[in-house]
Amino acid sequence: MSDELVFMMGKFAAKFPTDRLYAKNHMWALPAGDGYRFGLSAYAVRLLQDVYFLEWSVDAPQRLREKQTLGNIESSKAESELYAPATGVLTEFNPVLLKDPTPINVGTYDAGWMFAMECDPAGLLSPEAYQVHLAAAWKIAEKTIKGQMNE
Amino acid sequence: MARKLTVVISQGQSANPAKRKLEEDVVAGLLFERGVEVTVVPNLYDLTPDGTGMLCLQGISGDMVVVSWLFSRAAFWTLDRNGIRGREGKVELVNEAEEADDEDDGDEETKADDKPRVLQSRELPNRQIWCLDFKARNLAQPFIEEILRIKRLAEAQPVQILNWLGGTPTSAQQERFLNPTNSTSGLDVLGMLNGTNGHAAPPAPSSPQASAPAVDAPLDGAPAAPTIIAEDAARRWYPVIDYARCTNCMECIDFCLFGVYGVDKVDTILVEQPDNCRKGCPACSRVCPENAIIFPQHKTPAIAGSPDGEAGSFKIDLSKLFGAPDALEQAVLERDVELTAVGRDAVGMAVGIPKRQDEKSVGPKDDLDKLMDSLDDLDL
Repeated sequence: MSDELVFMMGKFAAKFPTDRLYAKNHMWALPAGDGYRFGLSAYAVRLLQDVYFLEWSVDAPQRLREKQTLGNIESSKAESELYAPATGVLTEFNPVLLKDPTPINVGTYDAGWMFAMECDPAGLLSPEAYQVHLAAAWKIAEKTIKGQMNE
Repeated sequence: MARKLTVVISQGQSANPAKRKLEEDVVAGLLFERGVEVTVVPNLYDLTPDGTGMLCLQGISGDMVVVSWLFSRAAFWTLDRNGIRGREGKVELVNEAEEADDEDDGDEETKADDKPRVLQSRELPNRQIWCLDFKARNLAQPFIEEILRIKRLAEAQPVQILNWLGGTPTSAQQERFLNPTNSTSGLDVLGMLNGTNGHAAPPAPSSPQASAPAVDAPLDGAPAAPTIIAEDAARRWYPVIDYARCTNCMECIDFCLFGVYGVDKVDTILVEQPDNCRKGCPACSRVCPENAIIFPQHKTPAIAGSPDGEAGSFKIDLSKLFGAPDALEQAVLERDVELTAVGRDAVGMAVGIPKRQDEKSVGPKDDLDKLMDSLDDLDL
């Protein structure tokens, strides 16, 4: 991993390697084979904290449309559905994570890859563009989390 | 005549030993209860309309308690679709998360009652159906206590309920009402109401296939065998309509392109061809403006029929932050996926989009609206 950008989530410094692209739904995309491997960015992992369950609702290989539901993730603090970051063919899920999802926390940018997809990178963001996106997303995230905690 | 109470145990889909044990413990705990007949069927939702299990349930007359792994609403309306109807009995044993929510929205029902619901135009038979959810507790005892509470309640409302409401309860009824007792002394009351010494068995249900007909437990304590229905229940997937919520607006029939919905003789919406439904697809549920369409096996509680949407989870839901499409967008996506899966063309937003999108009332925006707008602007 060469350079990285840093985004401050409150006091937490989330780091983003510049050797890859990012999706708006907080996944990174690293070229691999004929497509990309996708994993959760440090921003997403920080929001979730300790991931302890990951479940996929589609089978590989499968053609997917952007935003199609892929499965869901549960952590000590939160849960979320996961959505396709782009339109394309999902070719493979990382089999290791199904037994133990901790690589998402400890190997966020390598061993924690979640799935591989053959897709058009046009809708993905450069690391710099992702930082701009994060600045706006973080304000919303803070409000959303506070809102749900106060319910 | 005392009313007998039939308790139907609907088994879960999974062979999870903890779940099976809970089912068995509840059955075992009821075997010695007089006036309670136990019937065990495979997962209620998977029963086919003309299969043994459903025929057996249709043959049960009188009050009924159904304990299943489905949310109470899902179980009640699944029965309704199969012609097993009654008034919905109020269940006190609910999931603790739901119970906490209940207190908040005491006035919600009155608020929501401005639109006519399909249920209001229906005539219901004079019997009650209570649907309990196995997910409410991990142990059998609370279920047994709840069933015995219901049994006392059912006994306190004998067939002559109209006389009582007119002001002439019998002394036994009055005593029962004023001094609700536990099940042991309930035996005496049963005997009194029967006009017998308490040994008389209520008429056996006319269940067509009862391999081991349930009979009243004799007083020496020998348990009555439960009726066990074995049916090869393959998993099914289809919508169930909650007619207490449905306003017959027809948005589901417009949206679904697989011919699942139809109308009856008086133009009321119904699930006409359940097996045309595409496995896993809950799209029509997302477009229903009243949240009246239940997919009992969907993992999202709001779609599976939870009382108010998100019960059962105390965790923060980050889906919106992780790029969740809105409900309509998601429904359109799900429908397109199923259309292309069967070789048809995706239709996107071109067909059957809810009419309410145009006529949404425009009011002053509150903080939540502003938050949602900023999420939309973000184009996550």
